[in-house]
Amino acid sequence: MSFREKTAWSMGAILILAGIWYFQRVVGLSEALGETAAPNIRFVIGYIVLVVLASIFINILIASASGKEAEAPADERERAILDKAGHWSGYVLAVGAVAGLWHFSWMNDGNLMFHIIFGALMASQIAEYAFQIFLFRRGV
Amino acid sequence: MAKRPPIGNRIRELREQHGNMSQAALAEAIGVTRQTVIAIEQGRYSPSLESAFRISRVFGVGLEDVFSWLEPPGN
Repeated sequence: MSFREKTAWSMGAILILAGIWYFQRVVGLSEALGETAAPNIRFVIGYIVLVVLASIFINILIASASGKEAEAPADERERAILDKAGHWSGYVLAVGAVAGLWHFSWMNDGNLMFHIIFGALMASQIAEYAFQIFLFRRGV
Repeated sequence: MAKRPPIGNRIRELREQHGNMSQAALAEAIGVTRQTVIAIEQGRYSPSLESAFRISRVFGVGLEDVFSWLEPPGN
């Protein structure tokens, strides 16, 4: 498995776990309030800090185990894969953003719109790494 | 599954003819990763023209001695 594929697997896992952590708190707070919780900056910062620290730690581990490969820039095939995965993940974000706006137009719930769009942002990042893994394994 | 490009190659055969050159050595010689050489050999990736020329120069042969166009049946 290449360095970049290992990175994609680990980043995907980190983002999924951090997303679960974030939405567990949002859902828990919403249930306690009896309505959709307002965006909570502490949860958002907690999510970002969790992702940044975990990704630094994991990437240092992978890079130290990969040697020279970790220092080399992406080659032509890897660049094509990264570009295509980034392009496809943009559609995931777009669908989530439209879903958030559609919900807002029907339910007039700005809090829900925030959570849907933030969730779409998380989903698009996870999808980007999933597409990378798919393309690394199946060809671009 | 991604559609395979209709391009065949003799990279494996040429590596064996050149003292069993490893995929890693070829990858280093042409400036790509070993996984990319594997993908090219298996026909899962068509290299850029530059990389195709680099591969043929490593083996000291022409481009068409390494790569060939695979005509689909019926054409």
